Amino acid sequence: MSRRLSLSLPTKLDQLERIYEAVDELGESEEWPPGMVYQVKLVLEELGVNIVTHGHGGDPDHEFEIVLDSDADALTIELRDEGRPFNPLTDSPEPDVDSGLDDRPVGGLGIYLVRTMMDELSYRREDNHNILTIVKRKENG
Amino acid sequence: MEISVDRANEVLIAKVEGRIDGANAREFEDALNGAIGEDDSKVLLDFSTLSYISSAGLRVILLIARLLQKRNAAFALCSLSDPIREVFEISGFDKIISIHDSQAEAVDKIGR
Repeated sequence: MSRRLSLSLPTKLDQLERIYEAVDELGESEEWPPGMVYQVKLVLEELGVNIVTHGHGGDPDHEFEIVLDSDADALTIELRDEGRPFNPLTDSPEPDVDSGLDDRPVGGLGIYLVRTMMDELSYRREDNHNILTIVKRKENG
Repeated sequence: MEISVDRANEVLIAKVEGRIDGANAREFEDALNGAIGEDDSKVLLDFSTLSYISSAGLRVILLIARLLQKRNAAFALCSLSDPIREVFEISGFDKIISIHDSQAEAVDKIGR
């Protein structure tokens, strides 16, 4: 079992649909454990929305790339964009997930969900690109 | 994403169908604000037909929860799928918003 899938997407929010379809298809053919399809969609959506809205400030005339590599043990994701530098490991504040309703910050949750749901994240800036590599192990696989 | 509204035992029940993500969270926010009347003092979001929510949707839930708290209105969620419940648990939202297993249980708790 192993398959690679690459997507090159314009920096527009209406492209999220293509991400969901690709993840559904890959997850099904690679027999990912239950719950993993949802987590991978969420991770790609959170990061994709960040790239579109923050990385490029809503400018739709760029592209970003997603490569999904699924094998028997794990899924490896590579995200590549030419937006402004953003390292999700250090540039996003840790949200306070214990504070009360009134004090709860509205932002920062997306990246926190990404870091919590995935097993490994590494970031590098290369040739004016953000390159984020993510590993999700198939716990039940 | 679609919202259908019902009322039972003075509880406004908004059933959300489909997906809430970064592309339609604003639409979700507007739809909820439109559905909740000024006199509604008990609001329940039924997620039994919600397939997906991410941080963009959580943001809207938080804003609605705050608004209703200011009005001393009750607010609850019910019927979350396992992956959606996980999103709420990781975010710690399960500690600030009451979550019930079924619509009947939620209406029983917050209704009259």
